[in-house]
Amino acid sequence: MKHPSQEVLALHAGGDLGWMARWKTARHLAGCERCTAEVGAFARFRETLPQLNQIPEVPWNRVAADMRANIRLGLAAGECVRSSDGPLRDSPLFTGARATLALASVLALMVTGLMLEGPAPSMASSNEPMVQATVNGIQSRSGDQAFGLMHSGARSVTYTVGAQGTLGARYTDPETGNVTMTKVYVE
Amino acid sequence: MWNNVKALTAAIVFLGATSLLAQDAAIPPGAVNINLPDNSPLALKSFTMADSRATARGAALALDLHMSATLVNNGPYRIHGVTLRVVAQEVTLGGKGSVTYPSLNVGPGETFQVRIDMQLMRPSQVTGGPLVQVDLDGVLFQDLSFFGPDRLNSRRTMTACEKEAQRDREHFKRILAQAGRTGLQREMLESMARQSEVSQLAVTVKRTGRAVTSAAIAPEHDAEFAFLEFPDSPVKPMNGSARISGNEARTPRIEVRNRSNRPVKYVEMGWIVSDPSGKQYMAGSLPSADTDLILPPGQSARLLQETTLSFSAKGQPVNVSKMVGFVNQVEFADGNIWVPNRQNLDNALLLKVLPPSAEEQRLTDIYRKRGGLDALVAELSKF
Repeated sequence: MKHPSQEVLALHAGGDLGWMARWKTARHLAGCERCTAEVGAFARFRETLPQLNQIPEVPWNRVAADMRANIRLGLAAGECVRSSDGPLRDSPLFTGARATLALASVLALMVTGLMLEGPAPSMASSNEPMVQATVNGIQSRSGDQAFGLMHSGARSVTYTVGAQGTLGARYTDPETGNVTMTKVYVE
Repeated sequence: MWNNVKALTAAIVFLGATSLLAQDAAIPPGAVNINLPDNSPLALKSFTMADSRATARGAALALDLHMSATLVNNGPYRIHGVTLRVVAQEVTLGGKGSVTYPSLNVGPGETFQVRIDMQLMRPSQVTGGPLVQVDLDGVLFQDLSFFGPDRLNSRRTMTACEKEAQRDREHFKRILAQAGRTGLQREMLESMARQSEVSQLAVTVKRTGRAVTSAAIAPEHDAEFAFLEFPDSPVKPMNGSARISGNEARTPRIEVRNRSNRPVKYVEMGWIVSDPSGKQYMAGSLPSADTDLILPPGQSARLLQETTLSFSAKGQPVNVSKMVGFVNQVEFADGNIWVPNRQNLDNALLLKVLPPSAEEQRLTDIYRKRGGLDALVAELSKF
């Protein structure tokens, strides 16, 4: 049997779980004496918490008074620096959090698109015409346009380069058994 | 809060996937137009475009075309090579390629299958009309006669392949005659071992000046070619150099002299580079310009290409330390072609870096995959 964590049991004891988690935990407790005992212990501990106010070694009441005073001081300072004729909007259209969320959504969409797209045939940052070997073929490319002759499935491929601007591949076609020579040209 | 974020992300992922999948579509067979002339010795018997698809990838459109065709030899002569010209001008500006099938042996009335796999990328949607045009560029017959428009110099390419094929078949036949099946088997095993040990460079070729890469910060200097000389070569390399910067070589140039008694119209030099550790690679070839070269006997000419080659291996730049050149192919004005013989190629450096010819690759494939020594001997006896 899988038992809820100590955190879940503690939150259940305080009635702080969401409805689904509360229902699941209650179902478990109905059949588990050990966890029921844990929840009982957490509940009893919560009952003792108010009494801590009275512990003389810890000046809780004084600490709380100091905190309240500091908060009032901060609010008063804020009132002083606020412009009198330009009240701040309570809910601006683009708060930092909303803008961050919007940017994150756009970024997630872009990343998802790239992942689904898979490895596209390589595109150079350069627009210069060129020929080059790719994973399964040879390619003539200019900017974002490319023309490739592929040799998928070929085991042993021999590449031949012509300094005039050609790239060739020679292989035995695995389906036809023919020696095949492909060539692309820089245009 | 975190649960809400996860739910929102899942919704975005689902919507993104739906919209992308909606942009994936099959490409119909009409997207590729195969054009064979009326008087062509080849005819199209069947044609398929299975699994060809257009897929949106970001802002671009990727077209994966898988073409398979069966061609029949309708002429009276045995075919030894075919080159098809593939043009995607309507889809990608300047998209042009060729597919050559050397080492064929197709008799009159016989068929053979060809496959062309293409991948095209363009920035937006494609309008109607064929995406790719496939034309016949040339057919080479057994007697080295030729048919076709030859716009891609396929006559020279296929004739050189056929000369190499004849050379290598004769080599293996001679070994079979002199050393028997055991000797032929040993030669096959040595060839396969050499093929597996050849290190290949990844080379990018640009027509313009220096590329903007990490090498761009390296100082540029002139490096001289050293040459391997073949005694029977009709052309002698005199001197040559290239501008070197890190892993880039720019504007290679080699001066050659015609030492034969026949005019030469095409010269191709093989180009080997060494990295600083001494490891050697076949970098490519340096051909003369496609047109306008007629080199009379005794005269010199300069082979020059205004291109930049960038070398890398296993994703790392390979800096060029030394360069070696050798004459790889010569075409005479009468159309005859010279290629190095087996004795020329039996050189320690070339054996390390030079890949086998198309025919040697085909014969070793037959030995390795299609029945061993019996199949190889049967194949050699066909020629």
